[in-house]
Amino acid sequence: MKEFIMSDRENTIHDVLKIAKNCRHYAMCKIDFLGTGVCASGLEKQYVSFYPEGRMDLYAALAEGTIPVTEKCVEIADSCNLCGKCDFQCYFVNEMRPSKVMKALKDHVSAYLESGGKIVSPEDDTVLTELKSIVGDFWATNDSAVRITYHHDLCPHVTFKMPEYVVMPNSHEEISSIIRLLSNHKIPYVVRGNGASSHGLVFSEGVVMDLNRMKSIDFDEKNWSVKVGPGVASYTLQSEAGKRGYRVHTAEPASLVCANIMTSGLLSTFSTTYGISADNFIDAEFIARDGSFFSLNDRTAPNLFSFNNALSEHEAFAICVSVSMKLHPVTDDEEGILVPFESLEKALDFARECATRHIGLAIGILGGEFVSSFLAPTKKLAAEAKDIFTKKLGMPYLVLFIGDRYALRSVRDMGQPAIDQKLFKTLSQGLPALHSAKWLDLLKELSDDEPFSYLRLGQFGDLAETALAPFPTQLTEDIDSDLRPFFEGLYSRPEMTDLVWLNTFRILSSRYCREKPCVALVCYLPIDTSLIDEIQDGLRDIAEKHHLKNEFGFITPIDSGKRCVWEYDYYFNHNDSDEISRIQLATHEAGALLDEYSEKTGTIRQVRYVVNQGCCRRENLLYL
Amino acid sequence: MHDDAGHSIVLTGATGFLGAFLLAGLLDRGYHVTVLGRSSKERGLSDRMSDLVRWFSLADPGERLCALVADFSKKHLGLDDATYGRLCTAAGKIIHCASDTSFAERNRARVMATNVNSLPALLDLAADARTKHLYYVSTAYAAGMREGICMETPISTDSFTNVYEESKAEAEGIIGRYCENTGVPLSILRPSIVYGHSKTGRALKFNALYSPVKSLSCVRDIFIKDIVEQGGKRSRQWGINMGDDGTLCLPLAIYLPIRGTVNLIPVDYFVESALCIIEHSGSSGIYHITNDNPPDMTTLAEYSERFLGLRGIRAVWDPSGKNPAPNPAEELFDRFIEQYRPYLSDRRTFDRSRTKSITPSLSTPAFTYEIFERCMDYAVACDWGNT
Repeated sequence: MKEFIMSDRENTIHDVLKIAKNCRHYAMCKIDFLGTGVCASGLEKQYVSFYPEGRMDLYAALAEGTIPVTEKCVEIADSCNLCGKCDFQCYFVNEMRPSKVMKALKDHVSAYLESGGKIVSPEDDTVLTELKSIVGDFWATNDSAVRITYHHDLCPHVTFKMPEYVVMPNSHEEISSIIRLLSNHKIPYVVRGNGASSHGLVFSEGVVMDLNRMKSIDFDEKNWSVKVGPGVASYTLQSEAGKRGYRVHTAEPASLVCANIMTSGLLSTFSTTYGISADNFIDAEFIARDGSFFSLNDRTAPNLFSFNNALSEHEAFAICVSVSMKLHPVTDDEEGILVPFESLEKALDFARECATRHIGLAIGILGGEFVSSFLAPTKKLAAEAKDIFTKKLGMPYLVLFIGDRYALRSVRDMGQPAIDQKLFKTLSQGLPALHSAKWLDLLKELSDDEPFSYLRLGQFGDLAETALAPFPTQLTEDIDSDLRPFFEGLYSRPEMTDLVWLNTFRILSSRYCREKPCVALVCYLPIDTSLIDEIQDGLRDIAEKHHLKNEFGFITPIDSGKRCVWEYDYYFNHNDSDEISRIQLATHEAGALLDEYSEKTGTIRQVRYVVNQGCCRRENLLYL
Repeated sequence: MHDDAGHSIVLTGATGFLGAFLLAGLLDRGYHVTVLGRSSKERGLSDRMSDLVRWFSLADPGERLCALVADFSKKHLGLDDATYGRLCTAAGKIIHCASDTSFAERNRARVMATNVNSLPALLDLAADARTKHLYYVSTAYAAGMREGICMETPISTDSFTNVYEESKAEAEGIIGRYCENTGVPLSILRPSIVYGHSKTGRALKFNALYSPVKSLSCVRDIFIKDIVEQGGKRSRQWGINMGDDGTLCLPLAIYLPIRGTVNLIPVDYFVESALCIIEHSGSSGIYHITNDNPPDMTTLAEYSERFLGLRGIRAVWDPSGKNPAPNPAEELFDRFIEQYRPYLSDRRTFDRSRTKSITPSLSTPAFTYEIFERCMDYAVACDWGNT
């Protein structure tokens, strides 16, 4: 029998390729969420191809022989200075080390050149020449090294497409000109934000328009508003608003604000107070398909506040080129707590009660999967933390609650024992010690007459601090040793254990697909325990039939507690074709199940139907 | 199933602490026992019985032990007619030991369902089987909230410390009235707080006496870890430190409202007494299986200190029952013993005239440190029931 033994070199390539192919396309390497700074070449050259995310795709394509070594390929490889910032960022999110891929990319290209390999130089055609005349030579390309990085993401439902061109306009006038040009040539196009489109809307065989150069942020504080360009990421906007003492309603930190609003509308735990869809903006500006400019508040503008309950066309009705958003006040007494519950029913009761009475700013029921993934810096610790929270502490559900001192006092008056900010810090930084803490058994016994009553003890926080000896060094024990000093410093920062900051900037939630990517099944529905239980059972049965990991994600009450937004997640391995087939079947069945309940109850709206209608009125989604 | 009425017993609660030891005692004496119970999530009832036989190192009882999964909320216990018929044949005597021992008010529905609402099915069985004798394992504390002597007589109070006491008292009443009306001979066994085997230290459950000791042990470990691994800065601020001899000085005052005792009996004494009562012809009546010389919290504190290598544990009797300025350890411990507090300074005493008349050769073993240590050693060896 012939034995297949991989050489060390092949092993290395295999390992590096594995990292490259596991990039989650979250674009977290495009925002400075850790204070390390961002990849310098990415900042300068803007195409995703020049960020670590793009280089991961590029390396995978080269290693698998999908594309040749091109001019841009050499430029992309050369522009990486191996600074290692991406390691900090990607390790924080996914426990991966992209710099190995960056190095492999450089090595691959230089080895190719040293061996006399020819650099492929794609020729400009008429369309490209015209595109370049609009945006400038550098900002339009047909080089396959760039195009490949705009060709796919993790969405399991779409056929990926290789664009002929990628173009990066810098103004709405340029966008208008591009659209007119493409219309004349009958070339299809799509607009792309940061690319992690869960609905697969960012692919075209024609042109991908990347709006990342349009990063304007203009505050109008006397009118409590900020006008945001389509290339502005949530984290960046939130940071700028924070510097001025405000908060804006944003979603995932790397998502682009305009894209977020236009596709599915903004959803977060702050939706309890700040709302959803059209609640989140004052005005928006667009370039229509004919290249004309309009503002949503124009009397003659198309009615984008309306809603059609059907799957959207892939091409958006118009391209959003700015959004004017509300600035929200921030008081200096805001604080976060986590309120534990033994059952979803009790958590829902509490969340509904708070929302109905307008208590609190942000409310989210989190399941064990989210809580553990968010808190733990590694997959191993996340698995332990999940066991601890759900089993040892008997807290399968935790309600994240943000409020001012009056809201927090109200929660206390409601009689709910809670994990306060101090205890949260202890639990976060002492997470590894929890695994072996025998005294957790006592806590369960103490909950016999009243769940979590020990949290009412005035000095429980002190005792927990003594028992867990929380310290960032403890939290970083499992982290690669060369990264440890950085992460010790990071986890020492006050904001890393501040529930308000974490919930505002949401950098921890980027970890929720660290183990595997997922498809989020999101819908609006009444806060009705039996209905949610029934649907959840159905969704779970479907996933289990297809042997897919599935978990409760979160629920946030909205519209004074009359409705909520609920996410249930199906996880899959995007590199496993069999698993992709199964997730396709499962999500199809899950969608049908939700359709069935929607018809039966007349109260459920799936977010997949909201895609490209994100600026519709909230009432269209909640009052069917 | 065996049909020799005198030697054929139906037992409920055999997977619990008292029931399991009673089962072992019955099998040891050659009884044929039909166990009515439930499967757990992990193990079927028969497997659970086999586990117990092994745990007690009993000879294979063969057909002398039969396990039937029964549902007390259903007619004929959810059994088919043929099985129920055979069960009736086997129920020469019935010992009802199954119980939910939760004290928590929030578990009221569950406790009442197990301890009270399940009785009709049991009593129907007694009637259908024309059982020769029904034994009900109650608790000495069904006597309710009171001080002074509690007689071996039916209960005459409706004031209870918790739902467990209340449910047991109500069950005694229901069973008593049924037996009086039907003429089924009835014995009610009222043990006090039961701990492990006095000679082997073995036990199957580690609540009651064990819980406060386990709690102290956990608190101790928190501070030892702090002192050894973190330098003990936090411990010192509460006056907690390690002596040169390795003893941990843990100032921990246990506040109790009145001076009283803790009525403890070892499980072997319970089993021997119960078997005496079961085997005594004409044993109808109520029996207090309790301790005539119960220890108080001072003794328990001393024993705990010695066993755990601690100093500073003391009982404080104060009418308020509240520590005015507890340290974190005291605050946690105080919360922990909250549900046990009425039993830690108990002013109830128990008349034992009937029990003594039937068990003249039996007396409660003195609660010595050696017995305490043996039981706690065993508990620690099995990680307080986690292994």
